[in-house]
Amino acid sequence: MSEEIFKLEKDNLEGFLLYLSQKYNLFLPRRVDDQLSFGQMKPGGKPSLDHYFNTDLPPKEVFFPQRETLLSYEGGEVKHSTYKAKPIALFGVRPCDTKGIILLDRVFAEGEYEDPYWKARRTNSLLLTLGCNAPLSTCFCHWFNLGPFNKEGTDIFLTDIGDAYLVEPCSKKGEECLRGTSLLGATGDDRKVAEEIRRKAESSLSERVEISSLKGRLLALWEEDLWEDISQKCLSCAACSYLCPTCHCFDIQEEGSQEKGERIRIWDSCMFKLFTQEAAGTNPRPTPKERLRQRIMHKFSYFLDNLGEFGCVGCGRCIRGCPVNLDIREVIKAVKSFIVESR
Amino acid sequence: MENPYLPVEAELLEVVEETPTIKTFVLKPAQPIPFRAGQFMQLTVPGVGEAPFTPSSSPYEEERMEITILKTGRVTEALHNLQPGVSLGLRGPFGKGYPVEKFVGKEVLIVGGGVGLAPLRSLLYYLFANLDKFKKVSIKYGARMPEELCFQKLYPQWEKLEKVDFTVTIDVPAPGWKGRVGLVTTLLDDLDIDLKNSYVVSCGPEVMLKFVTYKLIDIGFAPEQIYLSMNRNMSCGIGKCGRCIIGKYFLCKDGPDMCYADIKDIPGVFG
Repeated sequence: MSEEIFKLEKDNLEGFLLYLSQKYNLFLPRRVDDQLSFGQMKPGGKPSLDHYFNTDLPPKEVFFPQRETLLSYEGGEVKHSTYKAKPIALFGVRPCDTKGIILLDRVFAEGEYEDPYWKARRTNSLLLTLGCNAPLSTCFCHWFNLGPFNKEGTDIFLTDIGDAYLVEPCSKKGEECLRGTSLLGATGDDRKVAEEIRRKAESSLSERVEISSLKGRLLALWEEDLWEDISQKCLSCAACSYLCPTCHCFDIQEEGSQEKGERIRIWDSCMFKLFTQEAAGTNPRPTPKERLRQRIMHKFSYFLDNLGEFGCVGCGRCIRGCPVNLDIREVIKAVKSFIVESR
Repeated sequence: MENPYLPVEAELLEVVEETPTIKTFVLKPAQPIPFRAGQFMQLTVPGVGEAPFTPSSSPYEEERMEITILKTGRVTEALHNLQPGVSLGLRGPFGKGYPVEKFVGKEVLIVGGGVGLAPLRSLLYYLFANLDKFKKVSIKYGARMPEELCFQKLYPQWEKLEKVDFTVTIDVPAPGWKGRVGLVTTLLDDLDIDLKNSYVVSCGPEVMLKFVTYKLIDIGFAPEQIYLSMNRNMSCGIGKCGRCIIGKYFLCKDGPDMCYADIKDIPGVFG
């Protein structure tokens, strides 16, 4: 990639976003009432970047909507379509969430089957990732060798240096996009400021827990009481799954009648009892214990088996959003430190 | 497959009552749907939903597809209420299907329970059409009661086939029943089989699969010789929606027929 790093004065941000929105269907952090999520840029609209740590909801919904019509039918005629509008651009995605999108690319578009609905939105899309100057106490992306300034998977990387952003193209797509702007190059001093911000952010992170041995531990602890203890307060509300940038489980449902209706896909979660409830009455995961264990196993063992990477990016949303303060970091620590009593 | 979520329209031609709770649905898809024995379809009842079933017809039958279904839940109940003439949806086939190439030159032992004989029937038709390739086909089948035995009209035909051994049992004695009584595992007690040169395929309720597997291992089969039809809720059919996961495997995409060697170390594999 080019060595060139540009500088975007914050006074010129509006113009830059306007430029993006001509070529792209632009999504950016937008506050609606008390909730911050990625929304479409309205004409003259501004991103909610003040006191922006991260969006409450992950950006996966831009490419994988919570509810989506797969097909509709009426009087024997079946209609279906995938996303056909302008390519999508996301401005201000945090590095953990960019990594989440890359992981979902692997889930939805890799292997024997491609998901046409994911692919239609993701094709030619542009990710503009914004580094995290002030990671939260719940952030633990560094456990996964990511970090507040991780550039993996992004097309353009931005660093907030006060009055301006440093803008770095990280892919061919990103380079091409920036070629159409009149951004000036960043100075050596700008780069020094950015470097200092990065160093400060990285040193503010909590202690890193080593997780390379986690998978083996998990398999060894399958039968242990630990899961009973950990899951005791779990409400099976699935907030963790809905807030997770990598959880992708869904259900396909039919709405309507024999003559007219829709087939929809909606988010679902392994935390719900009904997820695995079988018609014959059996359920392989009948209590929160099996369900919580499944979620942890999927993220830290099966994901690794199938894709060679953990299915968690350390964004911390599940920690902030859990109504009973079930902290996934504490689960990991408990798994690491659990002592198996000989039987 | 362009869009794996889109069903093909299929007309319901005929409904055959197999047992008081099992019916066979004869479908004519708008376009032929080639499949391997053991691969499954998602069958849609418009306005109700879809559910996964393995065809019970021969993979060589191109025009029609038969699916044999036990009335158990919401979708199957709606299916059982249908009359011929309605339009249904079929998408698939999904999954790997039975590894029939491996069975060439070997004995094939098939162990079925209840409606589990339905998916096995497509495999049987495949095996029967290629009997010259296999040393022997043994079928051990059990149901709770005589009236729950599936496809009874076909048994005389199957029993007559050369190189085919077909044995049936019911779980508990019943008036008028003169055949064998006992769980299907009891049919494995007096197996006449070349242990080293055989493969086993089993389909039935999970608890049956569990005890059949343990028995087979006791007899001396290696886990590599045993294939089990594993079942969990399934929705997408392509390994994305997450509900059929067992260990690292998505049964819809990696199974649903799994080699026991691959799954034996997964904790809680039999539920």
